[in-house]
Amino acid sequence: MHIVKQLMAIPGVIAAGEFAFRGDRFSYEGALTDEFARMASILCRANTLAINMQTEIIDSFAEGCGCRPVQGWIAHGNLVTICAVGNYFAFIENRDELLNDVMTIMRAKVGDIRDDLLANLYSKLGGDTKEALY
Amino acid sequence: MNLEKMMDLPGAMAAFTYSDKGDLQSHLVREGTELTAQVLDLLAHSCVANLAIANMEARGWEAVTGQGGFQPLKGFSVVGLEWSVVVNGNCGVVVRNRDADYEAAFSALQAA
Repeated sequence: MHIVKQLMAIPGVIAAGEFAFRGDRFSYEGALTDEFARMASILCRANTLAINMQTEIIDSFAEGCGCRPVQGWIAHGNLVTICAVGNYFAFIENRDELLNDVMTIMRAKVGDIRDDLLANLYSKLGGDTKEALY
Repeated sequence: MNLEKMMDLPGAMAAFTYSDKGDLQSHLVREGTELTAQVLDLLAHSCVANLAIANMEARGWEAVTGQGGFQPLKGFSVVGLEWSVVVNGNCGVVVRNRDADYEAAFSALQAA
């Protein structure tokens, strides 16, 4: 089953989707409008790139310390949490054990992100993955 | 701030506190891990930045979409290959991914 459909089958998952390098290429299911899903994709892409940059800096001080390649991030709100793993995101309600379950499923389904995360995101647009991305 | 209590969280490798600017103030590191005070200081700075950005995003998202439930932000986590750092307020904990209990970590940080 596709990861987005699998996530949406879990009670408490509000929306889930996939985003590409530019952030405005996306697919999603759940309680978002197209415009909100576009905004969510840009938000997730921006945060993912930011923490990639941060972990590159940290890794330069402590190579192989275990932070890279970064797998994703979690923004834990009052009632809603946003999770991103690789180029997938999920908006979930704050329910007991839901966050841990969703993260386990996302990590298992997406698999370990390798160093080519940005190239993978970019290649979804048909871009030249050999050129410098930033 | 009870860092020893943070170190009781599942998979905890390090616990630390930091100033509002992100300067490392105190830390505990489990023996055998490769985390150093320098790494934790960098982590703390990045966590302050990430919390600020996530707060801005939550505020903006609620204002633009009319959806609620994002504010107040109760923490942020970066998930690395082997470990994750979970932070809220002026305290953070590094947990090994295979043992991580994100909900317990966020709860502990909120209570701290």
